[in-house]
Amino acid sequence: MRFRWLTAAALSCAAFAVSAQTVVLYSSNNPEVIANAVASAKKQHPTLTVKQVTGGTGTLMKRIQAEAANAGGDILWSGGVGTLAAFTDVMESYQSPEAKAIPKQFQEAKNRYIGTNVHVMVLMVNDKQLKGLAAPKTWSDLMKPEWKGKVVITDPSKSGTAFIQIYGLLKQFGREGLEKIAANAVVVQSSGQVYKSVSAGEYPVGITIEASAYEFVAGGQKEIKLVYPSEGTYLGAEGMFIVKGAKNAAAAKQLYDVLLSKQAQELLLVENFRRPTRSDIAVSKLTSMPDLASLKVFPLDLQVATDEYEQLISMWNMAVAKAKR
Amino acid sequence: MKLPGWPWGILSLFSLAVLVLFVAYPISVLTLHSLQDAQGHLTFAGFATVFGEAQYLEAIVNTLLLGVAVTCTSMALGVPLAYVIARCDFPLKSLVAILPLVTIIIPEVIVGQSWLMMLGNNGLITNSLREVGVSLPSFYGWGGMIFSMTLIYYTYVYLGTLAALRGFDGQLEEASLSLGASPLATRIKVLLPTVAPAILVNALVVFTLVVGNFALSSMLGGQIPLLSVMTYSLFVSEMGSSPVLQSSLSVVMVLLVGVVLFFQKRVVERKMVQMTQGRAPAPRRAESWRGSLLALAAVVVVTLSLVPLIAVFVGAFTRARGPVMHWGQWSTQSIERAFALAPEPIINSMLFAGCATVLGTALALLVSYLVVKKKSSLSGVLDYVVVLPLTISGTVLGIALVQSFNTGALVLTGTSSIMIVCYVVRRLPFGVRNASSMLYNIQGSIEEASISLGVSPLMTFFKVVLPVIKTSILSAAILMWATSISELSASIVVYSGGLETLPISIFRLVDTGRLGLASAYGTVLVTLILVPLALAVKFFKINLFSVK
Repeated sequence: MRFRWLTAAALSCAAFAVSAQTVVLYSSNNPEVIANAVASAKKQHPTLTVKQVTGGTGTLMKRIQAEAANAGGDILWSGGVGTLAAFTDVMESYQSPEAKAIPKQFQEAKNRYIGTNVHVMVLMVNDKQLKGLAAPKTWSDLMKPEWKGKVVITDPSKSGTAFIQIYGLLKQFGREGLEKIAANAVVVQSSGQVYKSVSAGEYPVGITIEASAYEFVAGGQKEIKLVYPSEGTYLGAEGMFIVKGAKNAAAAKQLYDVLLSKQAQELLLVENFRRPTRSDIAVSKLTSMPDLASLKVFPLDLQVATDEYEQLISMWNMAVAKAKR
Repeated sequence: MKLPGWPWGILSLFSLAVLVLFVAYPISVLTLHSLQDAQGHLTFAGFATVFGEAQYLEAIVNTLLLGVAVTCTSMALGVPLAYVIARCDFPLKSLVAILPLVTIIIPEVIVGQSWLMMLGNNGLITNSLREVGVSLPSFYGWGGMIFSMTLIYYTYVYLGTLAALRGFDGQLEEASLSLGASPLATRIKVLLPTVAPAILVNALVVFTLVVGNFALSSMLGGQIPLLSVMTYSLFVSEMGSSPVLQSSLSVVMVLLVGVVLFFQKRVVERKMVQMTQGRAPAPRRAESWRGSLLALAAVVVVTLSLVPLIAVFVGAFTRARGPVMHWGQWSTQSIERAFALAPEPIINSMLFAGCATVLGTALALLVSYLVVKKKSSLSGVLDYVVVLPLTISGTVLGIALVQSFNTGALVLTGTSSIMIVCYVVRRLPFGVRNASSMLYNIQGSIEEASISLGVSPLMTFFKVVLPVIKTSILSAAILMWATSISELSASIVVYSGGLETLPISIFRLVDTGRLGLASAYGTVLVTLILVPLALAVKFFKINLFSVK
C-alpha cells in the first residue's frame, strides 16, 4: 500500500519536472548560494523554473553516471575542475555566448565544462589568539617550530579544497616542506571545522578558502584577518557542465548562461563572496577582497593533481605519522 | 469464503515477513559483507583490521570508556533526584518531577547545538567569561560529551528509580528502623538492594544509548575517535568500494550492545523485586536546610537540562550575519529564511514522520496484539525479531539498510520510503513495548463475549479492543511522532539529495557554522514536537508518560 502511494507521489513529481521551461539543477552549493543563483535566473528568464537536487559533488557525480541512460538532472553546478575533468564522458559540450568574458585558463578545450568561480587558498588568522607571535605572511612561516600545534588544516582525503592546499604545498616546497607543515599542523576531518575553530579562537591560524574565511570578516568579527601568502597562493576553480542527454537541454543552456552572466557572478560575489571567473568584474571595488591580478599565484595543474591523488594522500598520511613519532 | 488461518495466522505471517525484510535481512546482509571480500570469498580481513589497527582499538576503548563514564554520571544524577522527588515535598515539586521527561523529547542535535552556542569556543558564556579573564577549558572532547549526554540520559535512570522507589514497601524500612538500625544503614541494607536491579537495568539502557550515540559524539567529540562516528565516516568514504571494513565495525557495535542487552535481560531483570503490597512512605516536607538544599539541587539539575530549549529559541531570533552571531540584537530574519528560502526540510520531516507514525503505530499494535493475545509459534518468533532493532544503533541500521536496498529486487535508496523504514524500524521495539503493556490490561473475556455473540474476530478487534485502548494508542502515536521526527543517526546515513529532514539540515548547518539558520530550524522542530504533545495533553487528557 505504502509503496503504491509513494510510487504515485514519485510519478507526479516526475511529471511536474518535465513540464516546459523547467531545468533540474544538481548542486553541491549551500542553500543560500543556490537561492541567489535561482533569483538571478528568475530575473533574467521569468518563465524559467529551477528544480534543485542537492548533495555532495561526489554523490551527485555518481548519480549522474548511474543515470547515464536516462538523465535525471540537466546541469551540475559546481564541482572542482580537477574532479570534473575525470567525468567528461557524461558531459554535453556547449559554447556559451557569455564565455567570451571568461579567461582561457578557466575554460576546457572542448567546452565540456567551464569555471564559474575560483577559490583562493588563504591563511585565516585570529588576531586575538596570536598571543605575541607575529601574524604569518607566507607558507614557510608556518613551517617554523613556533607554530607547532597552532595551525589547523583539513585532512586532504576529506575535502577537495584541502587536497589542493596540500598538493600546492608539495609542489612548491617538496616533501620536506610538507613534512614540516605536518609537524606543526592540527588535522581535522571537515573543512568547516577549520574556519569555525579559528573564528572561535581555538587556533590562531587555519588554512582554508577565501570565501569561507571572508564570511567572518563580512559578518563583523573584527579579529579575523585573511592572509594571502606572499610566496604565491593556490587557486581551485569550480565549474559546471550540462549533463549528456539532458531532458531540458534548452533550459539548461539558459541556466548555464545565467550562471556565467555578469549579473549572477556579481550577486554571488557580493552576497556569498564567490570570486567570479569573469575578467570584467572588479572584485576590489565591490568587496574588500583583493583583485586576482594583484595576487601572486603559484600555478598548479589540477588535472595532473587528480591523477596523483592516491600518491599524495599516502605521502601526507606518512608525513603526519612521522610527525606523531 | 473462509481462508484457512484468517485473520490471525495470515496477519502473523505478514508481520513476520515485514520484520524479516526490514530487520533480519539487513542485519544478515551486513554480517555477510563483513566476512566477504570484493570477489565474494570468505575473509576475516575486516575484523583483523578492526582489532589490529590502533585507531580502531582506540575507538572501541574510547566508546566503552564514554559509555561507562556517562552511565556513572547519569546514575549519580538520576538516583538522588528520584530519591528527592519520591521522598521529599517542596514547592513546584510536581513540575520538577515531570520536566526531565522533556529532555528525552528534545532532539539531540539541538542539545548539542545549544551547548555549543553557550559553552563552545565562541559560546555566549565562554565569551562573557573570557571578558572578565576566566578561560573555560575546551568544550570539545570528553568534558562536553559527558556533560551534555549526562543531562539527557539521567532521565532514564531517574524514571526507573522513581518507579522502583514508589513501588517500595515502606513497612520494610519501618521494620528495620524499629529493630534498631540507623536510617543510613537502613537505606544501604534494605532500600538499596531492592531498588538496585531497577537502577542497573536503566543504567545499562543508558550505556547502550551512549555507545550508539551519533549526534552528540560527532558534534562535540572533537579529536576523540569513537565507534559510531568512525563507522559513519568509513561509510561515507567507502561509498561504492568494498564494504568490508564498515560492515566489520558495524558488527562489532551490534555485538557490543547485544552482549549488554543480553546481560540486562538474562541476569539483571530476573533480580527485579516485585513488591506485593507496595505502600511507599509518604513524602516528607523538606523543612530543614538539608531538605531545602536537596530540593534546590533538584531544581538546578532540571533547569540545566532545559537550557538547550531556551537557547535554541533565543538563537533563532538573534541577528546572524553569515556565520557570525550578534547576540543581543534581535531579528526574525533567520526564521523567515527557514520558511522562505528552504522549507523542504520542514516538509520532508513532517511527511516522513507522519507516514512513520501511522505505519509504525499500526504495525506495533498488530505485532503486540499477536504476541500478547494470539499466542502461537509464529508470534513467539515475532516476539524475538521485534526486539532486534534495540541492538542496532542508528548508524549501523542505516548502513545495513543501504547495503540491503541499494540494488537488487527492491531498490529503496534515494526514495522517501527508506527514510520511513528507518524511522519505523528504530522506534518499533518501543512501540511494541508500549502497546503490549496496554493490551495486557484488557481481559480476554470481553473479546470472547463479542465473538460468541457472532461478531467476527477482526471486527471484534476494531469494535471492542480498539475503543478501549484508543487514548493509549494516541499517546503512543505522539511519542512515535516526536521520536521519529528528531531521528538523525540512521537517516543521515540513508538520505540523499532532496530528502533532507530538519535534524539532518540542523546537523549540516552546525557543521558549516550557520547557527542562526540552524536555530530557526531547531525552533520549528521543537514546535512540531511540543505542540501536538501539548494539544493531546489538553484535549485528550492523556497521561503521556505513563506508557514510557
